[in-house]
Amino acid sequence: MQAIIDIANTIFGPLIKLGAAPIMLIVLTVIALIFRVKFTRALEGGLKLAIAITAIGNVMGMLTNAFQPAMKQFVVNTGIHLDYQDMGWAPLATITWGSPYTLFFLLILVIVNIIMLVLNKTNTLDVDIFDIWHSAFVALFAQWCGAPLWLATLLVVFIGVLKIINSDLMKPTFNELLDVPDSNPMTSTHMNYMMNPWIMIFDKIFDKFFHGLDKYDFDSAKLNEKIGFWGSRFAIGIYLGVFISLLSGTNFLTIDGWISMFTLSFIAATCMELFSVIGSWFIAAVEPLSQGIADYATKKFNGRTFNIGLDWPFIAGRSEVWAAANVLAPIMLLEAMVLPGNRLLPLGGIVAMGVTPALLIVTRGKIIRMIIIGALELPLFLWAGTLTAPFVTEMARKVGAVGIPKNAMISHTTMEGPVEKFIGYAVGHAWSDKGIWIVYAVGAVAIYLLVFMWYAKQMKKRNVELAAAKEN
Amino acid sequence: MPKQIKMIAACGAGVNSSHQIKDAVEAEMKKRGHNVSVDAYMVKDVNEELLNKYDGYLTIAKTDLSFTPKVPVIDAGAILYRIPAMATPVYDTVEKIVKGLE
Repeated sequence: MQAIIDIANTIFGPLIKLGAAPIMLIVLTVIALIFRVKFTRALEGGLKLAIAITAIGNVMGMLTNAFQPAMKQFVVNTGIHLDYQDMGWAPLATITWGSPYTLFFLLILVIVNIIMLVLNKTNTLDVDIFDIWHSAFVALFAQWCGAPLWLATLLVVFIGVLKIINSDLMKPTFNELLDVPDSNPMTSTHMNYMMNPWIMIFDKIFDKFFHGLDKYDFDSAKLNEKIGFWGSRFAIGIYLGVFISLLSGTNFLTIDGWISMFTLSFIAATCMELFSVIGSWFIAAVEPLSQGIADYATKKFNGRTFNIGLDWPFIAGRSEVWAAANVLAPIMLLEAMVLPGNRLLPLGGIVAMGVTPALLIVTRGKIIRMIIIGALELPLFLWAGTLTAPFVTEMARKVGAVGIPKNAMISHTTMEGPVEKFIGYAVGHAWSDKGIWIVYAVGAVAIYLLVFMWYAKQMKKRNVELAAAKEN
Repeated sequence: MPKQIKMIAACGAGVNSSHQIKDAVEAEMKKRGHNVSVDAYMVKDVNEELLNKYDGYLTIAKTDLSFTPKVPVIDAGAILYRIPAMATPVYDTVEKIVKGLE
């Protein structure tokens, strides 16, 4: 056994010392080659990933360095403990895709999907390879909290199976919302839809007690048009720069005060735009591998028709997704300031794209419900973001974001799968701390599963109703 | 070089699905001898003024708009399935529009 470990260390030791970007260049290229992607395409993907990791590390450094002193001042000045910086999704995706384990979890989940298809337990072929990072994040976090690899893998498989079942459960609702025939194959295994069971509890309460509020639903497309530029990425960066300057006690009687406000605002706006640009490099990086896996799977199941699991935005054409996100942004900022235990100041994740699609699916586009339930569930996201911040920050430094100041913490306010992160936390601690944590972990997983089973039953009822309505 | 035709593709963050559509449409149209360039946006940032600067709008699925677009709206969602045969009808529609404009 020791001999094997020694050999592995001699081979992989120098590789690991290369750092995240070169490792991922090699690993992603090799894995794409295994899936029979052409060498140049495979290498192109690997290089893009390495460049994206490098770029995002630097932009994170720029943002955190600019904001750290102001945020410290903000805490001193207001007494509100909001000292963790919200980076939005792109840096967290980088950190996760910067770990070779993510590709391991990807392979495991592809195998799980294929097994479920073979056993006819699902009709969904997931081709949304990029978003595997949501599941991998939960597993990496569980590992960071103390879980061994096998346990983290088990957790990913458990959540992965439920996600695939969920994509089948949601299919008729997608068809209804998109007004497409049953032959349309679009569905999604996206992690954000794993909030559906919890949202459904609130939705049922609405059905019973507050259905009168539905008559106040408004035209979402019109609202979005009015908000227009004011809700754009860089506008949000500017607001936050101004907001922090005001609350950190900047002296606006001096030119320096104004300079510092403009600098903060422009840097925040620049970083918001850059995160998005660099985010697209990531997706381009995984693209050859995604196509390779899709080709492999469709060849294996020659002739069978599937539903196809995509990234969530095929419903982004529904204006409620954006109207709810627009209205929830200022609500989240207020909540963040008063929520006990939260330390994240919303910035990069303030447009809650990881929150509103699930609200659309469960409420079927009732905008008032989406906003109210959204406001009620946002604390979960803020707490999960705060809980994962030490892990995210440490990982960010590991993948090369060395520019992050010493005492700074970074995370994401509206990352998909808050409940899964709590479970990852409990499972990790159950392994490392034993005792009461085992009870917490088992209890959390049991409740998670039970609520999902109840939700599945409700969705099946809904699907029967939708089918009956179609026949009439 | 044929006349450049400009289109918009849009998705949630303007980085994933829209870029897949952009890359696929640009590559396929080049193969068919056309010069099409596609810009990727967030769905929420596509307004009337922006759309008027383009020759077509490649959507993933039904998309709510607060105005009536003057340019053709093309349902390009099938490109995302990663099955070439299912994407062909989308390319054919795009090509028909492109030919009309050239």
